Amino acid sequence: MTLEVIFTFPTHPPPRSHSPLSLLRPSQFPLAVIGVASCAQIDSLNSLYSQFDASLGDIFPPGGVYPLVKNCFVFEETEGTENLDPGETFPGLIVVPRIMNRKLHIGTLLGVICSQILAEFGVLIRTLENPLGNEYLNATLMPVLPPLSELPPPLDSLSGPDQAPKFPSHNSQPDVSRPSFTLSAAPNLKRNASSTGNGPHQPPLGIQAQKKRLSTIGVSSSHGRLYKVLGDFFLMAGRTEDAMVWYTEAVQLFKNSHDPLWYACTLEGMATVAIIDAWAIGQGLHNSSSTVKEPWTDVSDKLQQAINLYLRTPAPDNEQIHALLAFLYCGCVLRQTSLLFAIWSSKGWGPLAFTTMLRSATKPYVPPTLEDGNWVNLERLSAITGISRSSISAVLTQMHGPWLLHLGQRERISILTSMATFYASLGYQRKEAYILREVLGCLLDLLVCGREEDGYSQPSGIPPTAGLGIHNLHPVPSASWGAVGVRVSESPSGNESILRLLKYVCKVLGINLDVVGLAQDTLKRTSELPPSLNDYDEDIVQELCEPSGWPELQVGVVREAVAVAEALPDFPTVAQFALSSLKMLQSVLSPGDQYHLYSTATRALITAHRRGDARAVEYWSGRPIVSISIAPLPAIRIPLEKPRSIQHKANDLKPLIKGIADPFLYNPRKAVAGKGNTLVVQNDVLEFVITLQNPYIFDLELQELSLSTSGVSFKSKPVQLVIPAGTLHQVVLSGQATETGTLTIRGCFVQAPGGIAREYILPLYTTEEEERLARKRRTITSENGRSKYPGLEGCRPQKRSSTTTTESSAGTFTFRFLECKVVPDQPLLRIRRSSVTHGALMLYDGEKSTIRITLENVSPIAVDFLHCAFEDSTIVPAQKALAEGNLSVFETYETENSLINNPVFSWDQEEVKVIAHNQNFTLTLGCFGKVGCTNGTIHISYAHTHDPQPQDSDIFYLRQVSYPLTVTVYHMLECSKMDILHFPSYGTSPSGTDNTTKDRFSTLRIDDDDWCLFSLEVRNTYGAPFDVTLERTQDGEATASSTTTIPPGSVSRLVMTIKKILIDEALLSKPIPTLSDRQFVVAQSSLSHREEQAQRELFWYREELFKCVRGRWRETGGARSGVLSFRAQRMTLPMLEAFRKEIAHITLTLCSIHELSEVPYRAAQFYPQANEFVQLTMKVTNLTSSSVVFTVDLETTPLEYVLHEGVLTDLPIGHLQSGESREIATSLCFLTAGHFEISAQVRGFGASETDNRRMARTYITAVVGSG
Amino acid sequence: MSHHLFLLSPSDTPLYSLTHQSTKPVPSVTSPLASNLPTWSTSAFAGTLTALSGASSATQHTTGGAVRVGGGQDRHVIQMIANAGLDVIEDVMRKENMMYLKSVDKFNEWTISAFITPGNMKFVLLHEGKNDDGIRQFFMDVWELYVKTMVNPFHTAHTRIRSSVFDNRVRASARKHL
Repeated sequence: MTLEVIFTFPTHPPPRSHSPLSLLRPSQFPLAVIGVASCAQIDSLNSLYSQFDASLGDIFPPGGVYPLVKNCFVFEETEGTENLDPGETFPGLIVVPRIMNRKLHIGTLLGVICSQILAEFGVLIRTLENPLGNEYLNATLMPVLPPLSELPPPLDSLSGPDQAPKFPSHNSQPDVSRPSFTLSAAPNLKRNASSTGNGPHQPPLGIQAQKKRLSTIGVSSSHGRLYKVLGDFFLMAGRTEDAMVWYTEAVQLFKNSHDPLWYACTLEGMATVAIIDAWAIGQGLHNSSSTVKEPWTDVSDKLQQAINLYLRTPAPDNEQIHALLAFLYCGCVLRQTSLLFAIWSSKGWGPLAFTTMLRSATKPYVPPTLEDGNWVNLERLSAITGISRSSISAVLTQMHGPWLLHLGQRERISILTSMATFYASLGYQRKEAYILREVLGCLLDLLVCGREEDGYSQPSGIPPTAGLGIHNLHPVPSASWGAVGVRVSESPSGNESILRLLKYVCKVLGINLDVVGLAQDTLKRTSELPPSLNDYDEDIVQELCEPSGWPELQVGVVREAVAVAEALPDFPTVAQFALSSLKMLQSVLSPGDQYHLYSTATRALITAHRRGDARAVEYWSGRPIVSISIAPLPAIRIPLEKPRSIQHKANDLKPLIKGIADPFLYNPRKAVAGKGNTLVVQNDVLEFVITLQNPYIFDLELQELSLSTSGVSFKSKPVQLVIPAGTLHQVVLSGQATETGTLTIRGCFVQAPGGIAREYILPLYTTEEEERLARKRRTITSENGRSKYPGLEGCRPQKRSSTTTTESSAGTFTFRFLECKVVPDQPLLRIRRSSVTHGALMLYDGEKSTIRITLENVSPIAVDFLHCAFEDSTIVPAQKALAEGNLSVFETYETENSLINNPVFSWDQEEVKVIAHNQNFTLTLGCFGKVGCTNGTIHISYAHTHDPQPQDSDIFYLRQVSYPLTVTVYHMLECSKMDILHFPSYGTSPSGTDNTTKDRFSTLRIDDDDWCLFSLEVRNTYGAPFDVTLERTQDGEATASSTTTIPPGSVSRLVMTIKKILIDEALLSKPIPTLSDRQFVVAQSSLSHREEQAQRELFWYREELFKCVRGRWRETGGARSGVLSFRAQRMTLPMLEAFRKEIAHITLTLCSIHELSEVPYRAAQFYPQANEFVQLTMKVTNLTSSSVVFTVDLETTPLEYVLHEGVLTDLPIGHLQSGESREIATSLCFLTAGHFEISAQVRGFGASETDNRRMARTYITAVVGSG
Repeated sequence: MSHHLFLLSPSDTPLYSLTHQSTKPVPSVTSPLASNLPTWSTSAFAGTLTALSGASSATQHTTGGAVRVGGGQDRHVIQMIANAGLDVIEDVMRKENMMYLKSVDKFNEWTISAFITPGNMKFVLLHEGKNDDGIRQFFMDVWELYVKTMVNPFHTAHTRIRSSVFDNRVRASARKHL
């Protein structure tokens, strides 16, 4: 039979407060102490011994029973050290010589110690056996034996008729007879299982026990307690059968008497015996699973009974005893729990379970399969063993109660720790977190208490956060030195574990306190790394994730975590915790909490910095940048890119007409073209507007904000700023690009005070980017509603893993950033002065004048290209009207004509010289007053076109300087009632003899009936008189003009004779032209062919009219002059008739039949005789440029008194070449006297009667005399 | 005798909570061990920690003043217990498909009963005495009210319930059954 000794090596001796347990729970105390010493030659045994004695005295109280054996092994360092004085003997000091077989030797020595212990048991029992001892034993609830020396030696006579005599035989037997190796390890085993380390004993005073003691000393006391102690010793000695016997005896006695504490302890002992027996037998018990009851139920029942007994133990009035009672109770619950747990975790009652219970660690043994916390594995264990996790938890829960407050600090911590460990092993993380929080609370109590006691803490109300114990070096402050603060450096050991505990508790509650990391280096910038998609998307993911966890608890636990870290103190961690929680819990934190956390973090960072802590927190507050944009440059600095080809091109009119001629309302290409890279100029100061956000309720301070750029080198200075609480804030960062090329703005670097700079990239919101973000959002939101996995493991890690997989697949995505093109240095012009006062230009309608603008080159670069472009307020409406296309063809022509031929501003492209540095140049521009113009702008583009880089030569860069003008145009002359009248010739001798008339006729040079009269009314609506001149310029005719002064407010009619014209068919058949080469002009008119023809005819004759008649005006007595436009006047059909030359010229002549007698002709009247035949001769001359076949219709009125020959209509004349004449004649006879009118109408062949265009008329009057 | 009801979303966020004081007496079976002590949830355990975390910022001038002194139950502790009870509730939930989990957990003086809706909402009730039928009835009432609230299309499983109608009816039911 092999025997085993099982040791426990407690790290601490039992606390003194536990001494009342010495008899109730002897297993709590070390039975033997072995000192280990090494001995060199020079050491003397004497000193060694005294040293050993002294340290022993420190640890154990002098009067205590334990330890029973004190030995010190002195190991010789060298072999055969003979200087040890063998003559001197010290009790318990054993010299271990340096021999070969040391192992065996030490084994033997240990055996000796065990036998000594057993002997001591005997001594102890013998003391207790005698009546006095028994009385001591029964005296109080937790009796203490006085030192053995004070007790009288056991007297046989004193021992009553009890079974006392029996003991010695039983008792002494093991000591003597058994070989020393049979020492039982039982007590140790039992303690291992309980795992609570060195526990206390309850010292309550049993009242009834006291009574007993007073009344009858020694005799009447029950022997229950004695038997129980006996059983304990047997158990510790490994003799379980004997222990069981004595325990049974004790239980019999306890059942009747009222001693619940001892009864409970006995039951615990019995349970332990059962376990040890089972362990000793080994696997044998495993077979008994067929029985209905599991083998451990008995043990478990006993323990449960013990628990209940402990609970019912009447409360003692002594606080110390109370604490011990609570300690025993908790120990018992732990024992019960660890029993169930061991069976559960080792898949049933068996050797593995016993081994588990034997383990001496405070941490419960967890089989490797359980370590991953897989729920299925855990449940499988429950299924195998029949012990559910909740039942273990239910047993364990009994331990938690108000009585924990009775316990001493250290015991409380150790009990709570074991409890947490059990919960952790069971997979009950939330319960574990709850208990751990209490553990932290206890730890903090100790921490703070300890600090207050050490005398270094602050004198005033500075919270214990500042762990610096500052005290004066010199207690009496000397005037010269002042007070010198000295910081006592504190040991940071253990802080790490507490922080880990905090992080764990927070993690269980759903807060990751590591989300803001701590790092060493504060200056590192990570711009070299490619932008990470995960980092970029982090905020989106975060904002969309549904809240999880219990916000109120989270806030509470976070506040506690910060407080604990502050109390340690570990300032960087304080900041880390506070900022992490701000980041994680921003949505649920109340304003007060946010402020508290932020100020705590700020304070902690400052303190950490002051103390030289190298750690710094990462940037934490989410994405601060909302947008970056380039601030628009001032207009005069904007460079424009132009193709070289325009450099020498003449002023092009097309753009003027085409202003908004884009046929598409939405032109995607145009939009794309407009979004081209911004052009910036090298060495020019660039400004970037950055919008920052602060979602928190406190002002967010940024120590540094700078642009992150790539591409060409860029000089900029970081700024420091404060973002006001809860707002969007804009800042302007400026810098200079020092090279030409492409400048890419990736984002910003931000750095919080005491933190690490972090880059936030800001890609452009391109379509792909938006699509990607939208997809990401959809993914998250579609996952959000699903709560498939319950529990902590369910919601959180699952989501993370799925997102990481999608991200890795999209790893090839590239961002597009804000880019601008940096172009070489450009010249800069400014307008030095202009001839326009206050930028206001006053013009009369139609006035022509000039303005001068002087430009100065303020840059060191010469300007060698200059171009002017103009803009005025009449252009846009006209362009709009044109673009809408609702105008008739005629109106279109008029509008275009006014745009092209009469611009408000004009510039005759002079040869531009080079404008060198600091030189001036004067531009002269023409102006034209156009009614309706209210403002205008002169754009002067200039450039330095000489390009040092020929490879880039197809483009060059322009800058523009603009000069806006306010224009006022007075409308002073109104034209109206334009008319053209027939101007018939009345013969060379007009009837009137008025000289003036004659003169006027002569000035008008009317000697022909090819003339017509142009008349126009002009009204002067202005306050000053104007001289208005009509001018006629016609081919082949002398220029004539007539001038009238029109006083203010009056109307004058201006008259001018003009020669009739006839326009070629070929020209007339042309459509009304468009001045621009606009396309897509669809004729909208639904006019018939004839109407269209008429319209064209009107148009062309009108144009011809305006060519030959022009109006001018001049301020009377002033210098201003201009043109008078008739274009607003309409030309009507009668006017056309009057203006157009007829196609043929007809002359009607009456003559007598007889050749000799002429019909008298006076004053355009013929005077034939009645009843005589006269001959009517018609001479028709073709005036057109082509040959025409003519017919003529004659008509006489009144017809009934005229005889004529043949028909009068459709008389053929025949084919006439251009300019050819032919005469035909017919005969008439007037039957009565009176006025007859004879008219002739010549028509081109085929023209209908209504077609005026192809006809010519004339008439004569015949006054028929009667005789 | 007080009751604490929490309606927890599938991600453990309380959507609604109610504290109900019942007129029934507390079945006081306290152990002599705890005879001279208050119940756990009213005791100021780990007072230093509470004081440090709560009063260190704004109430520095009244150090300790912000600490809850005796009196009512510590709401935080109640919430912690309810939260810790979820461990066992989830455990049972996965094994059995009952909706009403009667007294699944105990902690100190509190017994935890729970009710799990098919949508994985958890109703957690902390109570001190035994009242199986009443609690079952109460849970059924709350469930019905909850379903009526969820009929609102704007209500998701994570929206806090702020309806005063819901509140009043739950309170009425609590008065009736608890």
